[in-house]
Amino acid sequence: MQPKLKSRVRCADREIGEVTKVVVDPLSHEISHIVVSMNGSGERQVAMGHVQSVTESLVELRVPSSEILVLPPFKRDDYVTTHEVEISHLEEKIHVTPGEVLVPYPELEKNVKRRTFFMNFTNVITFLIGLPLAYPIMRYLMKPMYAPFDNAWLKVGNIGKIKEDDIGVQFEYKKKVKEVYMPEYEIEKNVWVVKATSALLDKVYQGKDLEFRDATGTALWTNKKEIPFVAFSGKCPHLGCGFKWRKHKVLGRVFLCPCHLSIFDASGKVLDGPAPRPLDVLPVRVSVGGDLEIIEMEFKAGTKSQVRII
Amino acid sequence: MEQSSIPGAQSTATEKVIAFLDDRVGLKQMQAKMLNEPVPGGSRWAYVFGSVLLFLFLMQALTGILLMFYYVPTADHAYASTQYIIHEVDYGWFLLGYHFWGSSAMAVCVIAHMSQVFLWGAYKKPRELLWIVGLALFGIVIGFGFTGYLLPWDQRAYWATTVGVEILDKTPVLGDFMARFLKGGPTPGQMTLSRFFVIHVMILPAALMGLAGLHLFLFRVAGPAGPFRGTSDEIKAKTDYFFPRQIWKDIVGMAAVFATICALAFWEPVVLLEEATPDPGDYHPEPEWYFLFYFQLLRLKIFSGEFGQLLGAVALPVAFMVLLVALPFIDKDPERNIFKRPIALVSWIVVMVTMLLFTVAAVINREFLD
Repeated sequence: MQPKLKSRVRCADREIGEVTKVVVDPLSHEISHIVVSMNGSGERQVAMGHVQSVTESLVELRVPSSEILVLPPFKRDDYVTTHEVEISHLEEKIHVTPGEVLVPYPELEKNVKRRTFFMNFTNVITFLIGLPLAYPIMRYLMKPMYAPFDNAWLKVGNIGKIKEDDIGVQFEYKKKVKEVYMPEYEIEKNVWVVKATSALLDKVYQGKDLEFRDATGTALWTNKKEIPFVAFSGKCPHLGCGFKWRKHKVLGRVFLCPCHLSIFDASGKVLDGPAPRPLDVLPVRVSVGGDLEIIEMEFKAGTKSQVRII
Repeated sequence: MEQSSIPGAQSTATEKVIAFLDDRVGLKQMQAKMLNEPVPGGSRWAYVFGSVLLFLFLMQALTGILLMFYYVPTADHAYASTQYIIHEVDYGWFLLGYHFWGSSAMAVCVIAHMSQVFLWGAYKKPRELLWIVGLALFGIVIGFGFTGYLLPWDQRAYWATTVGVEILDKTPVLGDFMARFLKGGPTPGQMTLSRFFVIHVMILPAALMGLAGLHLFLFRVAGPAGPFRGTSDEIKAKTDYFFPRQIWKDIVGMAAVFATICALAFWEPVVLLEEATPDPGDYHPEPEWYFLFYFQLLRLKIFSGEFGQLLGAVALPVAFMVLLVALPFIDKDPERNIFKRPIALVSWIVVMVTMLLFTVAAVINREFLD
């Protein structure tokens, strides 16, 4: 039993006063001391170790009153109240308040069923407010996610730039972009073009013409297997970085992606690194004047098969 | 009106104002409660990280708001406005540098804070929820780093985002939708910038404030875990309230972090690369330094091919996070002393050493790319 406020305090020889405060240990949440008002001669702090027994209205100490009287006076300034300190669950452990204090529900709300009804009603209305919002918000946010493909031919440079066969040559070009409400602006992009010898062409096309179709399945263009110019999308099929043409110590001249070190040969085949598929070949045509044109396509990175996204 | 605490005739105007507020708000009790929290085993330097993180966040909020006075989140002005902040606005270079290095400091302190909770065994019962909310906060800090990185709209920004979103894209079934949703289209552009901006300056700060509040609340409910060694008598003998000693240590910790960030902002100012564009030119894309280990990890042979990517980009990070969330429910042994939890100690060392080695490997690899 815990000592109660206002309990009388009796020493081995006589009664000495009453409990005015209790002191709680902040870590164990146990009552560590009682503060005893000494019938007018100040307050003393008495350790629980001195307490022999506690009953409803009496705290009995096992020491004589003389021992309590010589204790130093209680210093209130060394303490804070339980309202001024952050100790959770304290009220569950310490029962110093005599009895419970209750406040009644309003007369109308005494019925538990009724209150449950109102609670459910509130939840339903909240849900009904949220429900018609969800779909419009999703549609609102999804607006720009899917765009139709642009299958126009784009001039990226002149084949006069290619001096050597079976070598990756970067064609950087500018593309005008009109994104929703934004004014039209230019972005820089690039494709890699290889002027392939017939052996390399064989590796790229494996003896078959390469046909490109649009989203509806209509034929767009066919890369003839004997046309020596092969254009690769500048986007690495691993995670979408831009790859480069580099000299590799062991593998010779290769396409190397600096991000995760995927390596491809001049035909786009994966030689090393994490890329899941070869470089993406684009539709390409060369005009009489040597202008190289492509249909710009981008494919999802990281998949074994090509999934066109642009 | 209330009858209590009627100010005496001699009280000064300030005292009257304080008494007025206290009557209505209960300020004194609130302040007392905030300051009087028993810290088992007494204050320690090791406990400063939580407060330092709060300080770091407030400073990020302050510098972030200031940056928004000039920054414009559009594809045609983001880069120019960031350059303007760096080169034209008085102390713009400093505020931007502070914000930049502050984010690094946040990453460092989050790792320190989490490591500490892990090593101290402080995630164990009854602090499971505190740990889980902490993990959510960790996710938010990563989200801040990732979204903020795009905003200057230079090449570094563009490519980090391109690759980062591609990683998200690898999620089964929902990946494509999530990636397009985040990008606002098939490739990064204006919509991406708008979305990242809103996430960075509105959604994440709101989420962080809410969760940090919950984190603190749960912390106060459970109370500090205290040291993992010592008898209860020893701990009791050293126990302190939060004020003043822990607050003093916290403020010194904050000052040290503040000085470090200022120094970095001064000596390592932010320099933008070329404006963002889908042609990387000579630039070798790379994420922020605290993601380098993961970047290097994805170069491993085991993560190659479609299945390997699923493993590296989705399974590995998800499994790691799930393991962390489940940790307090798997590890139910009440023993908190790290020297008596060999599996925990070894796991932590392995994770840290792996991160360190892979970061170093990524840095070394840079040389071989040119």
